[in-house]
Amino acid sequence: MSQNPALDGLPKHAIERLKGLRESGQSEGIFTSDLSVNEFLMVREAGFEPIGLCVGSCIYHMGIQYGQWSKNQELNVLSQAMYHARELAMTRMTEEAQAVAADGVVGVRLEVKRLEWDREILEFMAIGTAIAHSSGHPGFKGPQGRPFTSDLSGQDFWMLLKAGHRPLEMVMGSCVYHVAHQGFLKSLGNVGRNTEITQFTQAMYDARELAMERMQNEAHEAGAEGIVGVNLHEGSHNWQPHVIEFFAVGTAVKPIEDQSVIPEPATPQIVIPVND
Amino acid sequence: MGLLGRIVGGTPDPDAAQHAAEQQARDAAWQTALDTGHLPDFVIKRLSDTRNRKLPWVSTTSIGSLLAMRTHGIRPVGMVSGNCWFNFGFSWTKGHAAGWHSAIERMVQEAVLLGANAIVDVRMKVSRLAELGREQMDFAVYGTAVTIDSLPPSKVPVVATVSALEFVRLLEAGIVPVGLAIGAHYDWLYQPAYRRQGVVSNLAVTAYQNCELTAISAFANRVRQAAYGLLASDGARLGTGVLARTQFSELLYFEPDENYPGGRCMYRHIAMGTAVQHEPGMHRPVNVRAVFSVQDKPMRRSLELSEEVI
Repeated sequence: MSQNPALDGLPKHAIERLKGLRESGQSEGIFTSDLSVNEFLMVREAGFEPIGLCVGSCIYHMGIQYGQWSKNQELNVLSQAMYHARELAMTRMTEEAQAVAADGVVGVRLEVKRLEWDREILEFMAIGTAIAHSSGHPGFKGPQGRPFTSDLSGQDFWMLLKAGHRPLEMVMGSCVYHVAHQGFLKSLGNVGRNTEITQFTQAMYDARELAMERMQNEAHEAGAEGIVGVNLHEGSHNWQPHVIEFFAVGTAVKPIEDQSVIPEPATPQIVIPVND
Repeated sequence: MGLLGRIVGGTPDPDAAQHAAEQQARDAAWQTALDTGHLPDFVIKRLSDTRNRKLPWVSTTSIGSLLAMRTHGIRPVGMVSGNCWFNFGFSWTKGHAAGWHSAIERMVQEAVLLGANAIVDVRMKVSRLAELGREQMDFAVYGTAVTIDSLPPSKVPVVATVSALEFVRLLEAGIVPVGLAIGAHYDWLYQPAYRRQGVVSNLAVTAYQNCELTAISAFANRVRQAAYGLLASDGARLGTGVLARTQFSELLYFEPDENYPGGRCMYRHIAMGTAVQHEPGMHRPVNVRAVFSVQDKPMRRSLELSEEVI
């Protein structure tokens, strides 16, 4: 049909579009997403089609809790708020995905925004792209037949499947912690000394431990074999000094059950770029 | 000599009157062109000279892209651009969609004159003047008009907001990036049942408790959904899907005043991205291979990150 090999096999509509014969796309069946073009390519390469942008959000008023000045302690009220609000956002996003009969949501970004006009209100947003298996294979859903959720990019998703695993659920653990202040005499005692402040070490250690423990428990409940792509964020959302949040998030995964859909493993070819 | 003289300011420009007249004629030509939705004659001439190879071709792409284009029968013709300085009379949010659409329309007009099939490597740029704040700004797009061997000139060239390298790869996979889709929406929520002084009134809880501000959450969600609806319909005008990487949202609160004794909230959301044309369910495998680079990027990276660890 065409002399140009680049155009061979291009769908008819696409060629017409390039020729400028069709000025518009189809009115039905448009998808929206927040994938990059490369992610779009890789999601399709993995045998899935994007269906639509899914968002869940929650505008949340954080309760107030003060840590005792000289005490290391978790601030339960804030920990719960951070967890509850994120969960609301994630659940709403997943419900949107379920409404369009998606198998899962990839590239989920979980954002917390502070508002300039009120330090006690935070906006939580979960946004991702709902995808469905091209030939409707039922073996990719998340726990309890709900769509899976994952913060993996389209490229990572492809690689995860190649590695024989499938995503189940984005799992998270949060811990808001008040790090004790040091007493005056204690500070004075440290002047001129290179020394560890065990009280602070312990606070950071404990807060991180709690966040990771909670994340791991979530994955266990979801029936996961492992958690990939774990990130640990430390943040202070407009809080007083000495109050920090440890937030652990990752994608719980399990091996693909149906052997027939496991793609050929991809052994990486070792390369050395010569142009950089 | 004359030019040099003018620059160093040594001799007065003997052609000053003529230059002023030329500039005036140019200004008038732009004015007419913008009013009538056309391009000035001198732009048309430059573009047609470029198309007919009387002038050199122009490309904004990387050299790597040029290589990929060559192997796929794609040739750069000329650089095309368009812009639109926009005053936000009643809506900053909606103005974004209008501004980009006008700028793109002008750029496409130039590409048509070049006989192009596509504009690749389309980049977007905004400019502002500090004293005008957020009331006015310029929306500009520019890219490289290309022809694809064996295709006749397009009536409406596609606008690919991706690099030429990505454009080629997408074509291989049976996907054509066709344009920029935008969905922008805002709305007001009056009496948002929110007060600063300690009490969140609609829920009868004190400020010491955790609670969702459900009315504001639901309102924000409605606004965002409306923006996505607009994004989808703008995308449907262009192709079969939208890859909306760019998203912006903002929740503002205005204290009670005489007109709005209950205070008010505004939520706005802008989503935009590449519209694509593809055939769902029909994928041409690109046979991705995994490669592992032994280049020492990790070392360099950790040095760049030194401020995080030192």
